[in-house]
Amino acid sequence: MKVEGSHTIPAPRERVWELLNDPDVLARCTPGVSKMEAEREGFYRATLQLSIGPVKGRFEGHMEVTDSREPEAMTLTIEGSGAPGGVRAVGHITLEQEGEQTVVSYHGQPQISGRLAAVGARLLSGVAKKLAGQFFNRLSEES
Amino acid sequence: MAKYVGARQKRVEDPRLITGNARYLEDVQLPGMLHAAVLRSPYAHARIDSIDTSAASRLPGVVAVFTGQDFADLNPLPCAWQAGGVTNNANTPRVLEIDKVTHTGMGIAVVVAEDRYAAEDALAHIEVAYSVLPTVVDAKKATEAGAPQLHENAPDNICMTWECGDQDGTDRALGASDVVIREHLTNQRLIPTAMEPRGAIGSYDPGTEEYTVWMTSQAPHVMRLLMTAFVMGIPETKMRCLSPQVGGAFGSKIFLYPEYPMVAVLAQKLGRPVKWTESRQENYIATTHGRDHQTDFEVGALRDGTITALKVTTYANLGGTLSTIAPGIPTSLYGSMLSGTYKIPHLHCQVYGVYTNTAMVDAYRGAGRPEATFVIERAVDLVARELNLDPAEVRRKNFIQPEDFPYEPASNLLNGLAYDSGEYEKALERALEQVGYREFRQEQQEARQQGRYLGIGLSSYVEICGVAPSKWVGLPGEGWGAGLWESANVRVHLTGKTVVTTGSQSHGQGLETTMAQVVADELGIPIEDIEVKHSDTMSTPFGYGTYGSRSAAVGTIALYNSVQRIKEKARKLGAHMLEASEEDVVYQDGNVFVKGSPEQAKTIQEIAGAAAVAYDLPAGMEPFLDDTAYYDPPNCTYPFGTHICIVEVDTDTGRVEIKRYLSVDDCGPVINPLIADGQVQGGITQGIAQALYEFAAYDDSGQLLTASMMDYAIPKAEHLPHFENSHTVTPSPVNPMGIKGIGEAGTIASAPAVVNAVVDALSPFGIRDINMPLTPQAVWRAIQEAGR
Amino acid sequence: MQKIPITVEVNGRKASREVEPRLLLVHFLREALGLTGTKIGCDTSQCGSCTVHLDGMAVKSCTVLAVQANGSQVTTIEGLGNGELHPMQQAFWDNHGLQCGYCTPGMIMTATKLLEENPNPSDEEIRDGLEGNLCRCTGYENIVKAIRAAAETARGGS
Repeated sequence: MKVEGSHTIPAPRERVWELLNDPDVLARCTPGVSKMEAEREGFYRATLQLSIGPVKGRFEGHMEVTDSREPEAMTLTIEGSGAPGGVRAVGHITLEQEGEQTVVSYHGQPQISGRLAAVGARLLSGVAKKLAGQFFNRLSEES
Repeated sequence: MAKYVGARQKRVEDPRLITGNARYLEDVQLPGMLHAAVLRSPYAHARIDSIDTSAASRLPGVVAVFTGQDFADLNPLPCAWQAGGVTNNANTPRVLEIDKVTHTGMGIAVVVAEDRYAAEDALAHIEVAYSVLPTVVDAKKATEAGAPQLHENAPDNICMTWECGDQDGTDRALGASDVVIREHLTNQRLIPTAMEPRGAIGSYDPGTEEYTVWMTSQAPHVMRLLMTAFVMGIPETKMRCLSPQVGGAFGSKIFLYPEYPMVAVLAQKLGRPVKWTESRQENYIATTHGRDHQTDFEVGALRDGTITALKVTTYANLGGTLSTIAPGIPTSLYGSMLSGTYKIPHLHCQVYGVYTNTAMVDAYRGAGRPEATFVIERAVDLVARELNLDPAEVRRKNFIQPEDFPYEPASNLLNGLAYDSGEYEKALERALEQVGYREFRQEQQEARQQGRYLGIGLSSYVEICGVAPSKWVGLPGEGWGAGLWESANVRVHLTGKTVVTTGSQSHGQGLETTMAQVVADELGIPIEDIEVKHSDTMSTPFGYGTYGSRSAAVGTIALYNSVQRIKEKARKLGAHMLEASEEDVVYQDGNVFVKGSPEQAKTIQEIAGAAAVAYDLPAGMEPFLDDTAYYDPPNCTYPFGTHICIVEVDTDTGRVEIKRYLSVDDCGPVINPLIADGQVQGGITQGIAQALYEFAAYDDSGQLLTASMMDYAIPKAEHLPHFENSHTVTPSPVNPMGIKGIGEAGTIASAPAVVNAVVDALSPFGIRDINMPLTPQAVWRAIQEAGR
Repeated sequence: MQKIPITVEVNGRKASREVEPRLLLVHFLREALGLTGTKIGCDTSQCGSCTVHLDGMAVKSCTVLAVQANGSQVTTIEGLGNGELHPMQQAFWDNHGLQCGYCTPGMIMTATKLLEENPNPSDEEIRDGLEGNLCRCTGYENIVKAIRAAAETARGGS
């Protein structure tokens, strides 16, 4: 499975980069976050409450920025699990300035397991798109 | 004078089923019953580093939480049928896994709670730490260098390597053939999907130290034996097993599953009955799957269409661990049957049974024979195609002829057993005539000129039924090491009302009706006077259950034999009552009379009464009409027939429409045409489903992507054609009723008929094969690739 | 969990219970009322084994919460024939429209509504009408036949 998309944020690239690296902003913008803390720079632990089609539940996980080229690209490694199953993913994000705006593109191939994979798989890319949309909309508001 | 056998007798079991009064496992409620839910591994290959159940244990409604350690004193489940004559590197599941899992869905903990909602809720609070290991899901890749290794005792993930036939002779014959055709076939993984999911209820009586286990099983006696003697190490006399009404099985309920001994032990540990029933998602990831073969074959032929040799190599995916009879399916029931209905002088088959990080694979309706039939029926069509011959003609040319029986195929069928009887050409001709074969070929030509693509597919199958003979399965080295005979008890009570019990089991096939029909005719009493009881180890004689289309050809023959002895005793007692000499009296239609004087008869009801009150019996005769028979057949039976499918393919969308589907089956004399046709129709449907719709898809990490009915494509009414069913009748010499079995025929015959039809339709594109399932996407893609 | 009082008229009898808000109608029928004729065959509303009539409509009772049925009338397979065989039940019996019987209650409940909406359906319309009900045993041949027969009976045919 592949998850990809892009969103335009009405702010310059440096500002968007700043937002994407601010744990408080991330906590506010990520849908379903009930808890999020930066354990060290670029390493976050989070608890999320999500529902993907018939699969609902609490996920615990962490996200690490494994490659960072300010202000144009970063690579994230995400691992999470909960009763409905688990997710492991490596995601790539690029930021391109277009005039006064910034186009943020992302792509990744999450590996999912458990009920999430069994029942939720075919809904997941749609849900991921929706969640990403919510995230970037909120990020736009923050900018 | 048969009144019931052969009649379209309405089923006696139906009134309870159509009114909602049948009691399935899920409907059984016991006082004080607790509910269990199993935590299953989300990973296909992982070490279990730790399990913390403390939070789950504290939740309201939760009675207890157990892990594999709590069942460490139980043995792993047994694998009862291993491949014959070779080493099997067996690995079987435990009641709950302790340190490692090899496929998703393996149980690692169980919550027992006051209700199912509480038990399911608590699963989310069990914390498990896994070390995830690399996975392999493809059987062939699993044997290659560098593949993740699942079990220490199975190098290259190979459970067993098995062969049949003659390799050198086959190679020589291929070398001497005019043409040799090679093809790779995939027989994709399927999920049986009985409408009723599996379940079990355990209870324990501390006073008698006896367990009672209710379960959704096709073979309660075998379950009891395997649970007590093999898993729990207690005498089998300390357990009673019952199958209540079973809602379909198709093989998936033959096997011993971890949850059955689990509920028994939980009931003993907790002092209350414990029920477990699976969700549909559990059914898809934790109940057995079927098929999953990758096969390469070479078929040799002469220019005139005579088949000279068949060489087959198959990788059979067995899953992460072995289910109860898994290795027997792709070997004895597959390789041995590859010759099909044809005289193939040289045949060799090599099978690799392989472990992968997928659910266990075991018998699913047809079990080995659909896979074999698919290979040979595709091969015959490919020969016809290569030589530009009519596929019907190639079949005719190679058929085993009626005078060739008993016929022993070159596969060395089952250590020397032989096909019993057959008129293969007769069934083919009947089918061709009914379908209007010549006219269709004309219509096909005309349609092509209008840009419409019609196709016709033939499938002339033979199968092996009545899996039982001790002469075969009882042989040392043949895996079972025990004959799978069947039993029956007949008791004619004081008033002539008769109770029949069988060691076999009914879960939709209508045995309560067909068995009663046989008894009614033989004994000469109304069918209403007969009760057929089954599925309770306490009240039925030991028997091996229902599978391999054996309930008619084995179970019903046991019953038939028992009734013959009852009749003989009744005849002797009747003679005594008539004050006649035994030699002079006959038993006919429920009456005993002196030959030539039927007006002075004693009825079976009078005789049963006399036998029961017992104050005037012939010297040495025991009271009561009661007999138990155990029937060990001398051979299996070999039903056969021809199925024909006509399709139209929409080449723009790839959609396949079945225009006609026609079957001519020969299962020997038909006990009940209504039921036999129902079996054929349901069987055909499961084969059509394989050909066109169903596929259990795993991703590379071993996650089942088709784990619900949203994604696993069970056909709906709108996807299926009207079926045209008929029969020829060639009795089997194996048993006194001549019956062969019908439960699996439809599934065995139908997938190749459909695929042959689609390939025939698309032959103008040069297409010679498409992998099942022939979804619109697969067909469309094949057309696009052929066009390039 | 907080419980909510509901009253549902099931097969002509009023039943009042306090239920969890998340309780499914099918579990209410089977477990609270002991009406186990209604079956559960999947988790995802595909199979139709749990079909019942709710205020005159065929619904999958695994997709309805018990609280949503508060104040409603429900008919299950047990109540369909009012103590006798409903013509649809009779037609399933006569035409061998069932094998294992597990899908049968839901199939019959759907079929009766199908004929109410279309008393003279073609085979194709019957097959389309069974879109939400799965059977794994029969290949639907005799189910279609049974429904056609029931339609003929209802129209006064032989």
